[in-house]
Amino acid sequence: MKSASRLIVGMFALIAAAPAFAGKHDFPNKPLRMMIAFAAGGSTDIGARIVASIAEKDFKQPIVVVNRGGAGGQVGWTELSRQRADGYSIGFINLPATNTVVLDPERKAIFKIEDFVPIINQVLDPGVVYVRADSPYKTMKDLIEAARKSPNTIRTATTGILSDDHLAILMVEESAPGSAFRIVHLAGGADQQRELLAGNIDVAFDNVGGWTPRVRAKEFRALAVLDPQRSKFLPDVPTMRELGYPKVVSNSTRGIAGPKGIPAPVVKHLETVFKKAMESPEHLEKLEAAGLTVRIMVGEEYAKYYRETHEKARHYTEWAKKRPHR
Amino acid sequence: MEAFQHLLTGFGHALSLEYLAYAFVGCTLGTLVGVLPGLGPAAGTAILIPLTFKLDPTGAIIMLAAIYYGAMYGGTITSVLINVPGEAASVITCIDGHAMAKQGRGGTALGIAAIGSFIGGIVATIALVVVAPPLARLGLLFGPPEFFALMVLGLSLVTGLAGRSLLAALLMTIIGLVLAMIGIDPVRGAPRFTFGVPELYDGVGFIPVVMGLFGISEILLMAESPAREVIKTKLTGLLPSREEWRSSLRAIWRGTGIGFALGLIPGIGSIIPTFMAYIAEKRLSKTPERFGQGAIEGVAAPETANNAYANAALIPFFTLGIPSSPTIAVLMGAFIINGLTPGPFLFQERPDLVWTVIASLFIGNVILLILNLPLVGLWARLLHIPYQYLCTGVLLFCVLGAYSLQQSVFDVWLMIVFGVIGYFFRKLDLPLAPLVLGLILGPFIEKSMRTSLEMSGGDFSIFATRPLCVTLLVAAVVVLAAAALRLVPARVREAESV
Repeated sequence: MKSASRLIVGMFALIAAAPAFAGKHDFPNKPLRMMIAFAAGGSTDIGARIVASIAEKDFKQPIVVVNRGGAGGQVGWTELSRQRADGYSIGFINLPATNTVVLDPERKAIFKIEDFVPIINQVLDPGVVYVRADSPYKTMKDLIEAARKSPNTIRTATTGILSDDHLAILMVEESAPGSAFRIVHLAGGADQQRELLAGNIDVAFDNVGGWTPRVRAKEFRALAVLDPQRSKFLPDVPTMRELGYPKVVSNSTRGIAGPKGIPAPVVKHLETVFKKAMESPEHLEKLEAAGLTVRIMVGEEYAKYYRETHEKARHYTEWAKKRPHR
Repeated sequence: MEAFQHLLTGFGHALSLEYLAYAFVGCTLGTLVGVLPGLGPAAGTAILIPLTFKLDPTGAIIMLAAIYYGAMYGGTITSVLINVPGEAASVITCIDGHAMAKQGRGGTALGIAAIGSFIGGIVATIALVVVAPPLARLGLLFGPPEFFALMVLGLSLVTGLAGRSLLAALLMTIIGLVLAMIGIDPVRGAPRFTFGVPELYDGVGFIPVVMGLFGISEILLMAESPAREVIKTKLTGLLPSREEWRSSLRAIWRGTGIGFALGLIPGIGSIIPTFMAYIAEKRLSKTPERFGQGAIEGVAAPETANNAYANAALIPFFTLGIPSSPTIAVLMGAFIINGLTPGPFLFQERPDLVWTVIASLFIGNVILLILNLPLVGLWARLLHIPYQYLCTGVLLFCVLGAYSLQQSVFDVWLMIVFGVIGYFFRKLDLPLAPLVLGLILGPFIEKSMRTSLEMSGGDFSIFATRPLCVTLLVAAVVVLAAAALRLVPARVREAESV
């Protein structure tokens, strides 16, 4: 029964943490709630918990991390968009996944892109193209030539429909006219690694995170990084820009946002505290150890990135919807 | 011998004070779940999942696994003392176990059950150590088409063996599969059958459903059943006499063999092995007339088979990721909540976790022996708790548990609704296991089928051109055909519908 009483105490703690009225000058005077649209233990969650544990010291209030996973983030973002805009309820948005949920009419999202105010970006995980170490595709050039020579036969895995990796495949097809891939939607990096090893798919589009140890162990080969600059985790892998495809830039970013309408001074305060936390050596070290690339963007810079990502995602989402399934 | 080394490392972790404590708590709670009539292992494990949220994944899995096999031990006590199975797998134990209790040999019955369970559990776990790593390597042969075929086979086994009527079982499987359709389409991303309710975007959560179907419905059934009489047997003389030993030992070995072999087949369920073991003993006995009158083999064999089965059923689960019973399906849910996918890759990616859990299975069996032999009197006293308090307590725990899954009142309602549905299904004698398996396996079946079709560019021949895939699909058809033609012994099917 001890555990039961602990549960009850936990429930009361949660109720107490629910947002009430926010004072203008004494923000924050009660715990903050940080919502993650993915399950505990995923890379968004790992990064979020690290920054929360550092920032709460500065806020002098605890940050309660709440995981509301499901439906590729849609459940959590729907809920975040409906929270009271007092600054006490904030959450992580993952671009371009948050954008494509809104852009795909089939998803019937009930929130709009304007429903969030972007506060600060934490992580940028660049897209990477992977093959098995013994794959006939030694370079990105080999792969693109093969995709031109026999279109729609190379089984190429995403980490889900309209994920950044799905859009990245379309970018490659756009920049290398005549090439076409047979797109297979898998659930994530772990599935991609299994099916690559088993020979059920030929190529995987994913991000840096989660693959580096096995690339170093020579189980997989990274063909290209889809970012303007090389990744420090894969220093020998060329970027698509180096290979002559400057338009193929794809990544997944994770940052903090809140429901629209948070008072400007509160937004400013959140920006300042989280920026300080993200720039701290503790944060940088822990994220490096987790294989996550820190890229801080604050205020107008992040807001601009948010809008640009949305327009870019709109282009490829429309294309993805029109593209024949094979 | 690589496995042996891994196992030693696993013991190193599992013997840490922290993990020992989790195993102990899990065994205790499991025994409790087993002792309390009605609260079966599936509902018990589901209700207790929220307790493990704060633990690291290894600790959480150790504790939940201990609840799972602990419940298999505890069920005996209720069967022997009040002639009501604490959980379904102890049904057959009632016959001779309760007869022994009436003769004042209740202690011996419980003693031999604990010893047999221990031997069965340990042997099956040793086999798990030996068989699992090579099987896990075979796992790479399973691409999406093979997984699809394997899941279909598992589902057809559950359907073919469950209940008296194949039609009823098929109906329940289909209800489960239809419920699994609710939520975001796993490939296209469009919401289906959600009626605009955001909570349904993520599908019908199977943990509240299991808690409702097995837990709440049981409380409803308990509420309408009369109070039961507890036999106040002197629980001394736990250890059997020399002669009883001799006859039990054979029964224990045979029970181990039967339980283990059947545990390897997904979808058998925990009841069939106990029936088979009991029938085998009765047939082989020189004095079959003693059965039903308190024959000790009639307790030893099924109780051993039950635990050998429970531990062996973890083999297809760990190596291939197939949940072969509703309880293991709940365990699978716990893995998923902790960000782990059971299956061949788990052995490669988290060998520390897998081997620590396997080592804890050994430790847990020892803990259970200790909990059950000297302390059996303590457990028996629990049976004196009046039903009204018991029901209320379990209900409270269910509501708290459902809410704490994701702090959502919706889940509480979901559980209550399925509790009422489960109550009527049970009244109508409709088997619940196919529904639960359908709900849990549905998304996997759909996803692997559609991924296979993406791989082939939409060509269905992918299911007919891969040898392993074809074999599994043919096996699934054979199972259903056999069930339809009533080739499965009626006795087995009747047992499964309990």
